[in-house]
Amino acid sequence: MTTNTAAEADVQKTGRPILEVLNVTKTYGEGHTAVTAVADASLSVEEGQFVSLLGPSGSGKTTLISMIGGLLTPTSGTIRLGDQMVSDMTKKELTSLRAERVGFVFQSSNLVPFLTARENLLYVASLPKNHNRKVAAKRADELLGELGLSDRANNIPEKLSGGERQRVAIGRALMNDPDLILVDEPTAALDTALGRQVVQLLAREVKQRGKTGIMVTHDLRMVEYTDQVFEILDGHLTKSDGTTPPAGH
Amino acid sequence: MMLAFAEIRRARGRFISIIGALALITFLVLTLSALSDGLFYGSTGAYRSSNANGYAFSSDAEGSLIRSRVPVTDVAKYQQIPGVTKASGVGVLLSSGTGPNGELDLAVFGIEPGGAGVPTTLTSGRLPEPGEDNAAAVDKTVVDKGAGIGSTIKVGDRAVTVVGVTQDSNYQLQPTIWTTVPTWRAMQSSVRPETRGLAPNYSAVALEFASGTTAASIPPVNGTAVLSTEEAALAIPGVKEQRSTLNSIIYTTLLVAALVVALFFALIVLEKRELFAALKALGTSTRRLANTVMTQALVASVIGVIIGIVASRILGLVLPAQVPTLFRTESLIQISIFTIVASVIGALFSLRRIARIDPATALGGALQ
Ligand SMILES: Nc1ncnc2c1ncn2[C@@H]1O[C@H](COP(=O)(O)OP(=O)(O)OP(=O)(O)O)[C@@H](O)[C@H]1O
Ligand SMILES: [Mg+2]
Repeated sequence: MTTNTAAEADVQKTGRPILEVLNVTKTYGEGHTAVTAVADASLSVEEGQFVSLLGPSGSGKTTLISMIGGLLTPTSGTIRLGDQMVSDMTKKELTSLRAERVGFVFQSSNLVPFLTARENLLYVASLPKNHNRKVAAKRADELLGELGLSDRANNIPEKLSGGERQRVAIGRALMNDPDLILVDEPTAALDTALGRQVVQLLAREVKQRGKTGIMVTHDLRMVEYTDQVFEILDGHLTKSDGTTPPAGH
Repeated sequence: MMLAFAEIRRARGRFISIIGALALITFLVLTLSALSDGLFYGSTGAYRSSNANGYAFSSDAEGSLIRSRVPVTDVAKYQQIPGVTKASGVGVLLSSGTGPNGELDLAVFGIEPGGAGVPTTLTSGRLPEPGEDNAAAVDKTVVDKGAGIGSTIKVGDRAVTVVGVTQDSNYQLQPTIWTTVPTWRAMQSSVRPETRGLAPNYSAVALEFASGTTAASIPPVNGTAVLSTEEAALAIPGVKEQRSTLNSIIYTTLLVAALVVALFFALIVLEKRELFAALKALGTSTRRLANTVMTQALVASVIGVIIGIVASRILGLVLPAQVPTLFRTESLIQISIFTIVASVIGALFSLRRIARIDPATALGGALQ
């Protein structure tokens, strides 16, 4: 990289948020059965920030991060990730976007049951069009080490504890060095202490690697690990200052 | 590929069931087809090995050598017909005889050496020469029963010495011996006293055609009907029926193979909907998931087919010789390909389901 483009990137970093959601609305269904799950939501996140998204059940959290991660197309509004307009992409483009630029951590880890922890990481590494096996193998081992899973690397998910599985899922989300990490209730299947550990780990990885992360959670206690808190109620998104507990909790 | 093989390796149990089902189906189809081929080849060898292009039967015989009887004078009449290059009398007798190892069930063919209706599948020795009335060539199955070249075979009060061996030349599942017409006639009057004193006749007239002539284009001599050699083979009682019955069982079984595989993969895909949604969410294309399923179908069917082939071969080895089975490589290749194609077609049905899986359902909450 030349100094010139590095400087440009720097300008971009400070001048323009990596993720920008503008007036996004998502309506499911049509006519009188239509449900507006997200209404006119806007948010922007700077590179390196880890934000949490709070809200009661059915308020639209999953719908919002699904649109941000390219799993759903908004009914109206725009979503930009870096220099790519996610909201304008075709299904096929969205598939490569998710493989290359987004890391997901699901509520239940959803690891491939017949692949070992290490192979689960290598699998996602094989998804982008140009991938390098050697680099991937090295990175998988590094990540597993960092997540404290080195000696569990060759176990299939069935042989791992719930916390270990979620850690593998975090490794998998980081594997392709994504710009954005989206996490939907990562602690739902874990007890409090374990959940806290997992979120701490997530926050650490996002910070250390300069990633951008959005975590959906019901659990107010997890908010302390994030830089910004957004709150959603009946599809309406607001930024919370983090001092007053959000409604519904 | 990574997913396809890892799953077969680590979730072996469920693949063993589909491989087992396909092995069983292949085994069944191969065995049925060996039986079908065995019956067909064992019944029609005398025709298929013959140098004749057609046969003239008495018109009431419906193409059966056993029922047919034509006067010897018909041979000369057929020789006159343009397009017929050779016409020779052929006699057939189903009878038991005695070989070195005891009693044999035989089909005795009386032929005119050098004429039409002579077997072309001689593997050793020679055919009897004209006028050599105490000699016969025999099918290899007769040799297998202990009557090789030089042995004596007796039918009724007539004995012949084996001078040659033919292959795949049996008639109605009976091992054949090929002798001269006078010897055949002598054997016939010895074991079938009722034929003594009849005007001299043959069972049928074997015909060789000039090129371009067909059985249908020959005007039949009065009281006879001409069939091509292929038609005559299919006119052997039971041959057509056995073949079509067994073939329809074979096709039905292959259809079952396709259904079994379709059902199996429909179940697998249903069971893995959640996983496939997550994999799609992670950026796996539908095409890659489809490849995984198709690879698994291919691998499972290839392994199943191989096991089925081995099993049917083992059965072929232990089956008693009386069961008319014939394991032909051609049928084996055909059936293997059919089974694999049927499986792949079965698996294709699950692709639509895979395409319909929505990656958005992978995230938690109300979307599921
Ligand atoms: N595919 C869909 N079709 C129709 N309505 C939907 C669909 N998915 C979600 N909804 C509705 O949209 C609203 C928001 O749902 P969403 O899943 O985004 O909520 P959530 O905040 O993630 O809830 P939870 O905390 O229970 O996961 C709900 O009213 C839900 O019923
Ligand atoms: Mg949700």
